Amino acid sequence: MVRTWNGGAPTAPATPSGEGRNHAMCATGRPTDRQHDQHPGWTSDHRPAGVAATLPRQRATEPVPIEQPGETVRSQPQPFTLLVVGDDPTGGFAVPDLLDAAGHRVRIRRARNLTEAQRLLTDDVTCILLDLDIELVPDHPKAGGLTALREVLRMAPATAVLALAAGEEDAELAAEAVRVGAQDYLFRDEFDASLLNRAMRYAVERKRADLAQRQLTETRLLTQENARLERGLLPTPLLGGADDLRFAARYRPGRSRALLGGDFYDVVRTPDGTVHAMIGDVCGHGPDEAALGVELRIAWRALTLAGLSGDELLGTLQEVLENERPDDEVFATLCTIDIASDGLRAGLCLAGHPSPLLARSGRPVELLPYEHGGPALGLLERAEWNRRTVELGEAWSLMLYTDGLIEGRIGEGTARLGQDGMIELVDRRVRSGLRGEELLDSTMAEVRELNGGELTDDVAVVLLDRG
Amino acid sequence: MDLSLSTRTVGDRTVVEVGGEIDVYTAPKLREQLVELVNDGSYHLVVDMEGVDFLDSTGLGVLVGGLKRVRAHEGSLRLVCNQERILKIFRITGLTKVFPIHTSVQEAVSATD
Repeated sequence: MVRTWNGGAPTAPATPSGEGRNHAMCATGRPTDRQHDQHPGWTSDHRPAGVAATLPRQRATEPVPIEQPGETVRSQPQPFTLLVVGDDPTGGFAVPDLLDAAGHRVRIRRARNLTEAQRLLTDDVTCILLDLDIELVPDHPKAGGLTALREVLRMAPATAVLALAAGEEDAELAAEAVRVGAQDYLFRDEFDASLLNRAMRYAVERKRADLAQRQLTETRLLTQENARLERGLLPTPLLGGADDLRFAARYRPGRSRALLGGDFYDVVRTPDGTVHAMIGDVCGHGPDEAALGVELRIAWRALTLAGLSGDELLGTLQEVLENERPDDEVFATLCTIDIASDGLRAGLCLAGHPSPLLARSGRPVELLPYEHGGPALGLLERAEWNRRTVELGEAWSLMLYTDGLIEGRIGEGTARLGQDGMIELVDRRVRSGLRGEELLDSTMAEVRELNGGELTDDVAVVLLDRG
Repeated sequence: MDLSLSTRTVGDRTVVEVGGEIDVYTAPKLREQLVELVNDGSYHLVVDMEGVDFLDSTGLGVLVGGLKRVRAHEGSLRLVCNQERILKIFRITGLTKVFPIHTSVQEAVSATD
C-alpha cells in the first residue's frame, strides 16, 4: 500500500516548509568540512611531513656514529630524514652521520636558504634543523633567525623543528625560538652526533604529542560548538501566524576551531501579532561567552513573551548578564526590533550594536537610525535604551547582523569592509533583484571573498522580508 | 597583523602606546600588559590608540576590564584617539560614555577630571 501511494506521488525536490517560510542555516555542510579538518586525507600516498607513522617506535639506544658508506636501506620503517637549513657556506658546522633507532643511517638534506628548503621539504622529512644565524638580510646575521623560523613553521606545520644557535651567548635567542614554536634548541659549540640524535628524536616525539593534544582540544571544542549550534544560539523562530513575513538567517563560525563565538539571534511573535527580532554578540570567544549568549537569547525570548520591551527589557537583560557573566569585562551588544502586526512600521532599540539595514524597492539601501542607541549591556550601571519608531512601508527587507560581517578585510592592507562598504555591497545585490536567502548567501560569499578566505570572527545575519 | 606595546611614565601617569591590530588573537597581550601595570601599582593609565589599525569587541572588552581594574584602586584609564574608524566603534558600543577620550597624550596626561 505504502509503496503504491509513494509511487503515485513522484518525489519532488525539497520545498520550503508548508508555512511558506525559509529557515535555513548555514550549518549545512559544516560537519563534513570539519571531518576533513580532523582527518586531512592521511592516506599512505598523502602523508603530511613528519607524521608519526614514519617514526621508530622503540626507545633508541645511545646512538653511535658509524661510517657505513653506501648503505641505503629502504626497508620498513622509512629512514629518518633530516633537513638542515642554513647558509653557512664553509660548512662550519658539519652534521655528523647519524643512525636512527632501527639502525638506518639518517638521511640528510641541506638547504642554504628558505627557497631551497621549500623545495627539499617533501613528505619524508621527519625533522628540520634550522640555523638561527641564517642570513635573510645580507650582512645582518641574527636579524632573520626567528623570521626564518616562523617561515619554516608555516611551511612545515606538522614537522618537528630544532633551532641551532651559536652558543651560550645566544641563549636568549634560542629560548625565544622555542617560544615561537621550535621543539628544542642546540648550541653549535656543543654540537655532536649523540646530542643531535637525541634532540632530534625527542623533538619528533614532542611534536607528535603536541599535534595529538591540539587535535584532541579541537575535537572537544568542535563537539561543544556543534552542541551549541544545534540547540543554543540558533533557535527555531516562533513566527506562527505571521504569514506575510519571511525569515531567513545565516550563521557562520569564525575560521579558528579554537575560538567559540557568542553571536546569537531570535525571532518570536507575540499574541498581538507583533514580530520581535533580535540579534546580539557577547564580546570574547570561549565556551563561557557562548554559554552566556545562549542565556541571553533565552532570557530575551522569555521577557518578550512575557510582554516586556524597550528599556525595561534591556535593563532586565543587563541584570541577567551582570549576574551570569564569567568575568567583569564581558559585555554584550544587542539590537531588537519589533514589527507591528500590519508590517508598516517598527520600533528599534540598540544596545551598542550596529544598526540594521533597510532595503525598500526603488530606494537605496540605508542604515536605520542609530543616534538614539544606548550602550552595550554590562557597561554602565544606569543606562537608558530608547525605542525609536521607523516607518517601513509596504514592501521591505530588514537585515540584522553582527560585527563579524563588517570587520572582514578588503585586500592585503589593514582596511576593513566597514558599515559603508557593507551598505554598498548589499545595495548592489538588491538592485540586481536578489532577495531572501539568495541575498544572504551572496552577501556572505562576497564578504568572505573580499577577506581572502574564512572570516576571523563568527557572523550571524537575520533577514526579514515583507511584500 | 601583530600588536606592539610600549609603556612610559609621564608624571604620575603611565602611557601605554598600542600599535597594530587588537583582535581576538592579540587582545590577551594587551590584557596581560594592563594587568601587570595595575599589579605593579600603576593606577592612572593612558592608552594611546593612535597607532591602532583595528579594534574588535574582544579588544573593547580588554579596555573595559582595564578600566574596572584601575577603578578598584581609584585610578583612571584614559584613551588617546583621533581616528574616525576607531572612534566610531566607541560611539556605537556606547563606550564614549565610559572612557574619557583625548586628542593627544599631552592632553590626557594633564587631564584631572
